[in-house]
Amino acid sequence: MNATEMAQPADQNNQYARNENRASTRIELAGCTKTFPDGTRALLPFDLTINGGETLVLLGPSGCGKTTILRLIAGLEFPDAGGKITFGDDDVTRQSIEKRRVGMVFQSYALFPNMTVAENVAYGLKVQKVERRERDERVRAMLEMMHIDMLADRRIDQLSGGQRQRVALARAIALRPRVLLLDEPLTALDAKLRVRLRSEINGLLRKLGITAIYVTHDQEEAMALGDRIVVMQKGSIAQIGTPREIYRAPVSPFVADFVGASNRLEGRIEQDSLVLGDVKIALDQIGHAISTGGSQHGKGDDGDIPAEVFFRADGLAICDPEQAQLRGRVEAVSYLGEKSRLTVSGIGESPVTLDVDPDYQIAVGDDIHCCFNSERLTVFTRNMDADCREKAV
Amino acid sequence: MRRGYSFYAQLGLTVLLCLFIVVPIVMSALAGVTVNIFKGVSSGLTLRWIFEVWDLYAQSILLSLWLAVACLVVTTLAGVPLAYVLVRRPNRLTRMFEEILTLPVAIPGLALALALLITYGGFGSFRSSWVFILIGHVLFTLPFMVRSVAAVMSAMDMKTLEEGAASLGAGFWHRFLHVIVPNAMPGILAGALMVVTLSIGEFNLTWMLHTPLTKTLPVGLADSYASMRLEIGSAYTLIFFVLIMPLLIAMQMLARPGKKRHTASQLAEDE
Repeated sequence: MNATEMAQPADQNNQYARNENRASTRIELAGCTKTFPDGTRALLPFDLTINGGETLVLLGPSGCGKTTILRLIAGLEFPDAGGKITFGDDDVTRQSIEKRRVGMVFQSYALFPNMTVAENVAYGLKVQKVERRERDERVRAMLEMMHIDMLADRRIDQLSGGQRQRVALARAIALRPRVLLLDEPLTALDAKLRVRLRSEINGLLRKLGITAIYVTHDQEEAMALGDRIVVMQKGSIAQIGTPREIYRAPVSPFVADFVGASNRLEGRIEQDSLVLGDVKIALDQIGHAISTGGSQHGKGDDGDIPAEVFFRADGLAICDPEQAQLRGRVEAVSYLGEKSRLTVSGIGESPVTLDVDPDYQIAVGDDIHCCFNSERLTVFTRNMDADCREKAV
Repeated sequence: MRRGYSFYAQLGLTVLLCLFIVVPIVMSALAGVTVNIFKGVSSGLTLRWIFEVWDLYAQSILLSLWLAVACLVVTTLAGVPLAYVLVRRPNRLTRMFEEILTLPVAIPGLALALALLITYGGFGSFRSSWVFILIGHVLFTLPFMVRSVAAVMSAMDMKTLEEGAASLGAGFWHRFLHVIVPNAMPGILAGALMVVTLSIGEFNLTWMLHTPLTKTLPVGLADSYASMRLEIGSAYTLIFFVLIMPLLIAMQMLARPGKKRHTASQLAEDE
């Protein structure tokens, strides 16, 4: 997906949406680090550029620093000396949040319980002393856009979680902020509602064409929303890329594992082949999806190099015993409707998972023969892994 | 459902206990409107004593109301920001301050009053003004205001609310006055009622601090019991009762939980 392509306004009637389009702000963080007063280094030195109109997702486990980056951009935290943050041509490094014109949506919504829905949305406009008539008009437009116009006079404690999040969004964009910052906005909602609101937010961000930064620990959410994803690990950036790049070509075992390649085998590289036990796979057959990793493990031209192999449930398939590369024993079968997921032992140190046709007759304890789907494998040489760890610590 | 023996036994005991408490109140109230208490109610009912109390003690009653209002103003202006700081910046210093703040509640009023007298008793015009008593009342009631407001504030995630308001461009005072204070209102109201009630009823500290010209309502009450007819003391009690009751009832109503219950069903139908 291309950001500029998607940014075309879907709703030509909404003048507020149109206005947003012209003013998408490019954000740059240069040489930023963050050390908390107790001495903890929350963020190691990093540079990050968010293009105007782009939706950038910060993805990572809790404590990786993704929220800290968001708070640096918001102006709720300030980078250590030497760091610089710019919004377009405007240096905002030392500017407080009140002056930055950012829209923020919080996990806990942070709506004002003492005000009605309409008053919440109008709050920022009131602070900016927007004239009464224009204010009312803009609030109405925002509520309409978020499909909550019928809730205008409700109090916040009379709203459901999904409705609250819509109000929070309306409130954040009512001021036409330069950037919209969303901090795990869907985490507090149940699974079904989360998916629905996710696509609503996606539509909204495309329609507004606003620069947006979205923090989440949910890989699916990141892939669905992001033009680009930043995977964070222990205070530094592990990888930046499009959802496809992150998914198909993770640059480190951490990223591979985090984006769901949960099967891991240990092997070694012998000349031009990957060796896993008795199995030998030519390196040029292994998924071109790992091109970023590929150039790295190409270094080991002679001698054996230890390698780590990551793959999802589609990296391994049941095949003809004649051609089978591996044998394993079924430990568990979960019927998932469109597929059955098997847990198989005897292939690596820990059990691996693979998917089969849901109608395939198989029971716990059966022996099965499998082949690698070498296109779907991601290989990291051990050396490279060690480099990565060093960088991260 | 058939009610057994034990139900009636419990009911009986409860009624007896209630009577034990209520009868003296009724007797006292009755005494305040009886012509001659030694002859009993048969001597007839009258409002004469109440008017007499008003003639004798109007000054004290009005001073008490004035003190209560002044005390409320001071504790609100000082207590709300204080509670805000205690909740927003919890560190060793603020925790220590909170403990010190609570001390006047634990120390006997007489001792507190004595300390005030020893320290400031020498400043003649200050000593004999109502402000001297006000200071005693503020020391005694401030912790109740702070506690009550702080309890509500710590339940409302002020940090995120403020961050939300700040992201919309609101500076500190705008956030404080338009977001924090309105949302802390239940705590401020509960604290306010507590402060007013305590201030009007405060006796032992005030008794030490008062001068003949700065007698408050409870001090006057003690005075009337000691030196007037029983009917006058009783009528005085009746006035006190009428003043304090509405405040106590209001306090109970504020403290009653589940004001927002009805919204739960609304939620279910919206989702």
